[in-house]
Amino acid sequence: MKVAVIQFPGSNCEHETLVAARSAGLNGEIFRWNRPAEELCDFDGYMIPGGFSYQDRLRAGAIASKEPVMETLKEEADEGKPVLGICNGFQILVESGMLPGLDGVDAALAQNVMVTKGEIVRRGFYCAWISLRHDAVAGRCSGSYLIDKGSLIDMPMAHAEGNLVTADENLIEKLNEENQIVFRYCDTGGETKNEFPVNVNGSVENIAGICNPEGNVLGMMPHPERSSFAWQLPFVDPAARRQIDTPGPGRLIFESMKRYIEVSG
Amino acid sequence: MKINLRIWLKIPDAEAATVKNTLVRRMGYGKVLTGLERERLFALEVDDAVEDPPDLARMLARELVNENKESYLASAEKLDFERGSVPVKVGLHIEDGEAETILDRLRNRLGFSMVKKVERSVIWKLKLDSDDPEKLAREIAEVLLINPHKDFYEILR
Repeated sequence: MKVAVIQFPGSNCEHETLVAARSAGLNGEIFRWNRPAEELCDFDGYMIPGGFSYQDRLRAGAIASKEPVMETLKEEADEGKPVLGICNGFQILVESGMLPGLDGVDAALAQNVMVTKGEIVRRGFYCAWISLRHDAVAGRCSGSYLIDKGSLIDMPMAHAEGNLVTADENLIEKLNEENQIVFRYCDTGGETKNEFPVNVNGSVENIAGICNPEGNVLGMMPHPERSSFAWQLPFVDPAARRQIDTPGPGRLIFESMKRYIEVSG
Repeated sequence: MKINLRIWLKIPDAEAATVKNTLVRRMGYGKVLTGLERERLFALEVDDAVEDPPDLARMLARELVNENKESYLASAEKLDFERGSVPVKVGLHIEDGEAETILDRLRNRLGFSMVKKVERSVIWKLKLDSDDPEKLAREIAEVLLINPHKDFYEILR
């Protein structure tokens, strides 16, 4: 099983993402955006890592979404191959219309707005360890295939524009009905209080990750590659830090993609 | 009264170059898009009682413009653009946190209590070889320059 980690100019998490994929048993390589796009067809799955593709010029993800490699990626996704977009990768998938994947560009990831007790307390870039609640049933989505509904996963987030907004009044209802909302920001007990710091960016209904209707494309703002090893966790048993291969919670995302490829293959 | 500050880079504008490159090389506008420039626009609503608007505009520009790399043009009320390009104004239709922060800084830290409102937008000046450049400008705005879920656009005439 071979995955392509697609690197655009300005991506900066491609190596960590590849290491995390390999730790889950996937083979892979970094695929530069300017390689012949048809070479993408040789891979079983795809990851678009975090960073600042094209320096976030125009809008985060907007320029990368127009690259020829994205056309091929869409075609491969239409064949059912799994795609995981992390942070800037999620922004690219939203700008390309691959997520939520209903009718063109259905949403935007706007600047973070942190609200507490009705007051805006902060805006823009924020970096923290957060808890996510998995709200899809196991098997619904390629990137969370092995995760039970209601499970909590901790990982870091670091972004300025992850606030999911839409001008379509019915979109969120549709996403709920079709079980396309995969992850929500929650507290350590799993409650999704719609206030900072639980809702870290003001995203509607605490949405942190969504999938397309078919479930093979997942986009999420937090970084699973930054919690794929126990030694990456902030509060960990010192003994675990010395065991370099002990998995962290984020590895489940990559193991899920591997399992999805095995099952769908 | 409204004071408009049009601000553009004196140095090469990498963002404008990237947008033009994407339109020309990736989106098929190579034969019709002959030029593209970008400006930032601050529209500042100020107290009508201000006695010397040009002087106020100069003082505001000192705070909002970095003259080491940017030039600006100030005007009261009306915006005029050079002929030969279609100016497309793009801004946020959701709350603009940066504009709110700038208003707060101007009023409460820098003493510009006469400033009532700050609107921030980007002007894309499209040079188009077309019988209907406005229609084409609208198309370009909709396919690339905005995400309709957070941005609006307006063709300025």
